[in-house]
Amino acid sequence: MSPVDPRLQEALDGERDPGDLPADLREAYTRFIAAAKLLTATPRISVASRVMAEVRQEAAAAHRGNVARRLVRWLGQPVTVRLRPVWTLALAAGLAAVLLVPWGPNSGPTPGVAQGIANFVGHFPGARSVEVVGSFNDWSRGMLHLSDNDGDGIWHAEAVLPAGPHEYMFVVDGERWVPDPLAGRYVDDGFGAGQQNSLLIVRPVSAQP
Amino acid sequence: MILRLALTLALFQSPPHLTAQNGVTRLPGRVPAAALPAIDSIIAAAAAESLPTEPLVQKALEGGAKNIPADRLVNGVRKGLLQLRQARAIVSHAVPGQTPPEGHVAAVAAALARGLSGPIVERLITAAPDESPGPALHAAADLVAHRFDPDSAADLLVEAHNKGLRGVRLLDVATAADHELQRPGGRSPSEALAHVRAMLPNVPAPARRP
Repeated sequence: MSPVDPRLQEALDGERDPGDLPADLREAYTRFIAAAKLLTATPRISVASRVMAEVRQEAAAAHRGNVARRLVRWLGQPVTVRLRPVWTLALAAGLAAVLLVPWGPNSGPTPGVAQGIANFVGHFPGARSVEVVGSFNDWSRGMLHLSDNDGDGIWHAEAVLPAGPHEYMFVVDGERWVPDPLAGRYVDDGFGAGQQNSLLIVRPVSAQP
Repeated sequence: MILRLALTLALFQSPPHLTAQNGVTRLPGRVPAAALPAIDSIIAAAAAESLPTEPLVQKALEGGAKNIPADRLVNGVRKGLLQLRQARAIVSHAVPGQTPPEGHVAAVAAALARGLSGPIVERLITAAPDESPGPALHAAADLVAHRFDPDSAADLLVEAHNKGLRGVRLLDVATAADHELQRPGGRSPSEALAHVRAMLPNVPAPARRP
């Protein structure tokens, strides 16, 4: 590139009156000023922008082609699927949840025909633990615990039991045997101390309301 | 949580023929060692007489869980054997010529333990000889427990059966009578029974679960 004449440079910098320039430099000055005005009037477009515009234009043109034909061609092409192990496991877990979790308004336990749902409720304020022990669990401790999640002293448990009569008692704090005050049915336990078991008659699921 | 409970409890539900065979084997460690020989012999006697043994095993397990002293525990199990014998006699008398099903015998023994008399039990079995007597017997025991006259209670249940009520629906008859008895204004037991008899077979079913 040839260096700009200092006089022309001074005129372009506004340090010299363009009218004082010789004729050839005045003509060059006029061309420079016109080019500068043109540049300021036109938005600047980078090379990258122009390339991307070309690409988009071609893509739009391709999209206007026959969609059905392209779909058939795509279906016939081999596809490479890239999966990361962590996302694959998450996808499998989600699929399993969808398939295995029961749906519908009654997604609780589903008792069999010869079974029913039993509700155990007792008011034991201040108790540390309450469990139900009875003929349905061979009078075994630690099988069916009641819970009092809100601490209001009302303990509750629900269980699927075989339909029919079951004798039971509550065991409070691991040591105190108490009949269910809400059972409504009682039977002497036969051990001679006058203690009564509670009696629950579980309705089969077909007869449960 | 409830599913886990159901599965756990299901493990305890063994087929009847298995529980009869292995009943005694469930006792060591669960009942006082001093009581074990006597209980074994009571259960063996029941098995030899073709009586159900599971109620006796349950009674022994119950006594062990409650830490009942050995002598009282053995007496409790022996009392159970006597009730089973009485129950089989009642069933045999009510339905002659048939081998009493173990389930019937156990149900009758449970009714006797609840305080029903032999004649009331026999009458209810005779009214429906081909059906499991458990629900009718428990319904009668419910009524008697609420101070209804036993014969009148049996009359009502036989009529309910004749009008088509079966199984646990008979329990609803007893519940309806009890509700009539507690109705404000006061009904006598006989009035309550008469009122329920008039509504048969349309006694209310229990409230639907929410």
